[in-house]
Amino acid sequence: MNAEQELKLQSFLDGELPEAEAREVAAWLARDADAKALHSELRHTRQALKQSEPNALLPESREFFWSKIQRDIARLEPTPAATPAVSPFRWLRRLLVPTGSLAALALAVLVAGGQFGWFSGRLAPATETAMANASTFTYHDEANGTTLVWVSFPAETEIAQPAAN
Amino acid sequence: MKFRITSPAGPGWLAALFLLLAGALTTATAKDLKFQAYLVWAANTDKSPDPRHKPVEEEVRRKLRELPLRWSNYFEVNRVTFVVPEGKSGTASLSEKCKIEVADVNGQHVEVSLIGKGEPVLKRTQPLAKGKMLVLGGDAPDSTGWLVVLKRTD
Repeated sequence: MNAEQELKLQSFLDGELPEAEAREVAAWLARDADAKALHSELRHTRQALKQSEPNALLPESREFFWSKIQRDIARLEPTPAATPAVSPFRWLRRLLVPTGSLAALALAVLVAGGQFGWFSGRLAPATETAMANASTFTYHDEANGTTLVWVSFPAETEIAQPAAN
Repeated sequence: MKFRITSPAGPGWLAALFLLLAGALTTATAKDLKFQAYLVWAANTDKSPDPRHKPVEEEVRRKLRELPLRWSNYFEVNRVTFVVPEGKSGTASLSEKCKIEVADVNGQHVEVSLIGKGEPVLKRTQPLAKGKMLVLGGDAPDSTGWLVVLKRTD
């Protein structure tokens, strides 16, 4: 038996031969005792190797397990685009423009409110002082914006009596 | 450093500057207070004994009728229009015996002093916006009344 025939037997054992060639080798094994013995030896050797091959599994440490998760998270997170450096003047302008506009608007509202009396009704309450011998009562008509101050004063004093009377 | 008026921040600065200038100009404009003062005789008679008296104008009459007064008719004895400069005072003589003095207090309040026969009768400080009225009144002989109506016209 030459080396080529031995290799063919090994290939037959590994199932690597085409179907027609495998049939020829099977017939050859049936009629050749040497070939059959070699095939049997090869099969036993293969089986012995398979059984004695260590099935080694490396255990994953806790750190390795979490590092895998971290890598997955980092892979799924979008990488932020690189921001260009902002100059201090540009940053200052960005801050001052809206702030200045708001301040100017507030100032304008305050000035206009003062001019047009928007806040006049929300200021300090009215004060009143009457003469020692007079008393007053005050009535405010909110709907008409009218305030009445009645002075209880002797009618005979005629302080504002029309001349016709 | 060179500023470009066409930069994106340009309109914001211009708007802020415009508002500041507008506010400053508005503040700088002196604002006088304009008033009309009426001396009114209140009675339940249909006519005043003085033919020179005429019924008060409709707006004043309507507002007087809303007040808790017991008279049905109001006659205008005298009317004075006067101006109070900003931060100062003005006086309106409504009759020989009655005058009022109005002072602008901080641009927000008015101080109204009623003077009868040369003597102070009442002093009141209150806000008085445009179109609002302050009515001072008292009893007069024969169950009539007198009213001093102060209306701010501007």
